[in-house]
Amino acid sequence: MNDTHSSPIAELRDVTKVYRQGALEVHALRGLNLSIERAEFSAVCGPSGSGKTTALNIMGALDKPTSGEVLLEGTDLAKLSRRVLSHLRRDRIGFVFQAYNLMPVLTAFENAEIVLSLQGVVPEERRERVMGLLADVGLEGLEDRRPDELSGGQQQRVAIARAIAGNPAIVLADEPTANVDSENAEHLLDIMEALNRDRGVTFLFSTHDPRVMERARRVVRIVDGKVESDDRRA
Amino acid sequence: MAWRNVWRNRRRTLVTIAAMSLALLVMILYAGLMAGYFRDMERNILDLEVGDLQVFAQSYRDNPSLYTRIEDPDGLLGSLEAAGVQASGRLLAWGLAAGEDTSSGASFRGVDVERDTQVSKIHREVADGEWLDPADPKGVVLGRRLARTLGVKRGGEVVVLTQGADGAMAYDLFRVRGILKGIGDATDRAGLFMNEAVFRELLLVPEGAHQIIVRRSQEQPLEGVADLVRSVAAELDVKTWRQLLPTLASMLDSGRSAMMVMFVIVYIAIGIVILNAMLMAVFERIREFGVLKAIGVGPFEVLRLIVVESAIQTGIAVAIGATLAVPGLYYLSHTGIDLGGMSMMGIAMDPIWRAEASPETFTQPIVVLLCIVAVAVIYPALKAALIEPVEAMRHQ
Ligand SMILES: Nc1ncnc2c1ncn2[C@@H]1O[C@H](COP(=O)(O)OP(=O)(O)OP(=O)(O)O)[C@@H](O)[C@H]1O
Ligand SMILES: [Mg+2]
Repeated sequence: MNDTHSSPIAELRDVTKVYRQGALEVHALRGLNLSIERAEFSAVCGPSGSGKTTALNIMGALDKPTSGEVLLEGTDLAKLSRRVLSHLRRDRIGFVFQAYNLMPVLTAFENAEIVLSLQGVVPEERRERVMGLLADVGLEGLEDRRPDELSGGQQQRVAIARAIAGNPAIVLADEPTANVDSENAEHLLDIMEALNRDRGVTFLFSTHDPRVMERARRVVRIVDGKVESDDRRA
Repeated sequence: MAWRNVWRNRRRTLVTIAAMSLALLVMILYAGLMAGYFRDMERNILDLEVGDLQVFAQSYRDNPSLYTRIEDPDGLLGSLEAAGVQASGRLLAWGLAAGEDTSSGASFRGVDVERDTQVSKIHREVADGEWLDPADPKGVVLGRRLARTLGVKRGGEVVVLTQGADGAMAYDLFRVRGILKGIGDATDRAGLFMNEAVFRELLLVPEGAHQIIVRRSQEQPLEGVADLVRSVAAELDVKTWRQLLPTLASMLDSGRSAMMVMFVIVYIAIGIVILNAMLMAVFERIREFGVLKAIGVGPFEVLRLIVVESAIQTGIAVAIGATLAVPGLYYLSHTGIDLGGMSMMGIAMDPIWRAEASPETFTQPIVVLLCIVAVAVIYPALKAALIEPVEAMRHQ
């Protein structure tokens, strides 16, 4: 705790993941090492099936590795119960998925509010924080719309607002721009860049999208479940 | 959120609610009709034939003899009345009744006309003519099949032939004052009712009674009254109608359990409909539950969400079903269904089938419906609550 700047927020150490489908074994990850520092704005890329989603899920405590260690803010996830993991996801991790992120029956505001309600934040404070966040992601005036009344890009913005509402240590975004057009993709990246810059939110994406790779300050390329390259830019 | 989820798939929700309401409505009406059916059947038999309890002299039932009598029926009737139950004595004998050119065995029943109306409603069941009247000593009332066998009509003449208490032949000529409606096999075929005084004179039985019929009020439990009567009539043979008619009693009981079987079958069918609706509602949203769990919603909250959703639907269905059942049951219990007179197992039925409306008529089906919904919701709700988010989100 004394040296937060040098200790990574999230770390995968020699992680393997084997999926079993009947007699068939799929080696999704084969000894992956990945360390994410505070306030990073990074992307993992790689061909389809290379293990990007699997890596993010394991880092986000959604999935367990077959072997290897997963550390989140220094804590070994293997030692935690499902219940604690669930609380950890709620309090320390923000998720943005490729699609269908939102509860269709809830408004943009209510969707963004879920995590805060779960954390037990009082309504007035929730309101203040969520309204601020929705404004930050450019959804002022659309708070009461349902997801089906929003464009794909707008929906992803609500998802981003939800992901960062609870002040997580890291936001894991699995192909957040895959389902939106390029203009909206740029806009989403602007928003996340601003959040990263102004609020110091840590982002880790998985992506095929060259635009995302271009904007990321670090691009980790995964092939066959292993890190093939790791480029940091200034 | 639960409330809005319920209205997401409007059509399915409405179909589910409609199915539950309809099921509840049907069950309530069915329960009411069956309860009414058994009540009327029991009441008919008890009102017209056996009463609730009967008292005999010891050994009379094994060997019904003119001489085996309850010695002091008036004293007994007095004590029973003091104890708060209605009772009346009857005299019984067997013999021959003859019409113009046929004759038939008959069961003679000497009735204290005034008292008997307190324990039996048979006096209301005269199809043709009138019930006995002490002022008309020669007037008798016949069971309908006896009348048909003898070929006599109202106003016709009947010769009664039997053996009196002195062992000598006793006979007399009577006039048919009334012919009964269908009451029950025994009475229809052989029943011949006459005034008590006339019976005593004809058969030379100046005192005593062969049978005392006892009635209780609706609130008095049968066994309780039986104990009471036994304590008053210690030396006598006291039998409840259940002991007198064990077949009928068990038939009514098994009829009630057959009704329960019907219930169970209908409810299982409804349970499947509900289960199906719940499964569909959960599985088409499995991704959503995956996302919820991924962002840290606990299994208990997911479970609660689904339970609340089904509780909302069930609540609406119960309100609709029970509300619709009120006028339906009101109609069925007041106006009833006209069956046009039929008889079952030799027991006359009321021509009008009326439902019984009691709180249980409503509460039982509602409670069962709630239990079914609870059972049907458990599996999908647990499934959603315990789903692994990664798996759920891979689900398309
Ligand atoms: N639950 C699972 N069961 C079996 N195999 C799985 C499962 N999840 C992933 N896999 C397999 O593991 C490998 C890695 O999958 P993953 O989803 O991590 O790839 P990805 O890099 O995210 O691919 P994409 O770019 O297509 O999203 C693939 O071969 C995939 O088929
Ligand atoms: Mg993927």
